[in-house]
Amino acid sequence: MELDQYLVDATLEVFASMIFIDIAAEPSTPEPPPDIEQNLSSLIGFAGDLKGLLGIHCPTTVALGITSAMLGMEVSELGEDVKDAIGEIANMVAGGLKVALAPHDKKIELAIPTTVIGKAIRTSGLSRATRVVVPFSSPIGRFYVELRFVLS
Amino acid sequence: MNSFAEINDKLIESTIEIFTGMVMMEISVAGEPLVTVGPLKQSITGMVGLAGTHKGLLAVHFPKQVALDVTSSFLGMEVDQINDDVQDAIGEIANMLGGNLKTILSDRGKDINLSLPSTIYGDEYAFSSQAEVDQVILPFQAPSGVFYVEVELEH
Repeated sequence: MELDQYLVDATLEVFASMIFIDIAAEPSTPEPPPDIEQNLSSLIGFAGDLKGLLGIHCPTTVALGITSAMLGMEVSELGEDVKDAIGEIANMVAGGLKVALAPHDKKIELAIPTTVIGKAIRTSGLSRATRVVVPFSSPIGRFYVELRFVLS
Repeated sequence: MNSFAEINDKLIESTIEIFTGMVMMEISVAGEPLVTVGPLKQSITGMVGLAGTHKGLLAVHFPKQVALDVTSSFLGMEVDQINDDVQDAIGEIANMLGGNLKTILSDRGKDINLSLPSTIYGDEYAFSSQAEVDQVILPFQAPSGVFYVEVELEH
């Protein structure tokens, strides 16, 4: 299984079909860079043959830009619309991962997305989990898609 | 909210049980269930997702000082800042609460699976889920402050 690649493909697919912003994946890292400006994180848990969490981490400008593009209207406040939009993207990327894993006989079920909005927020998980962070560049800035999991 | 009427009591009971039995800390209910909490300041949240016949999540929100006291008591070691130990302890508490919630929602919890626990912390943040969920927030009084156990379930 090439989980990094599934994660990248699922993210690209969601952006190409729903958001219409050109994004490009950069090499993945095991940790998010310490200096990322993280104002919004949408997280969704999953369980089954793989247990873990998928997260999308954005600075304010990128969260607003993605939401504006997705809804086709200018969104200037980090509020309900943004929370719903990025939460839904997390849900769809996790759904894409679920589909990609199915042929490998790995079944996962998704929990519900939740979104955290704040200043300099940090998320972390169990130290024993495998962690993959993929930075994506886009015309409106960089954001990060993170996967943490253990095989059950 | 109605769907929570029957699980609130069990959730309160199991939260008190975990704190008394595992964390070794006396806690009590600090008022009626809430629908929202305002922005969380200087706090840490542990959360775990539920997937299967019930989809949702359980989160537990601790002000920093309460999180430090809970960790010190749970691990039997002094901690004075939010470090890996605190994150692991708070994640583990969310995991234990999630395990009990699983059993409350489904017979022996066999049709529900938990995701990995995770923690969120920061100077100030708001925690919110998507629109289509039922949620309840139970406040508890610990010796050094009030913390909240939040459950969200998809309709």
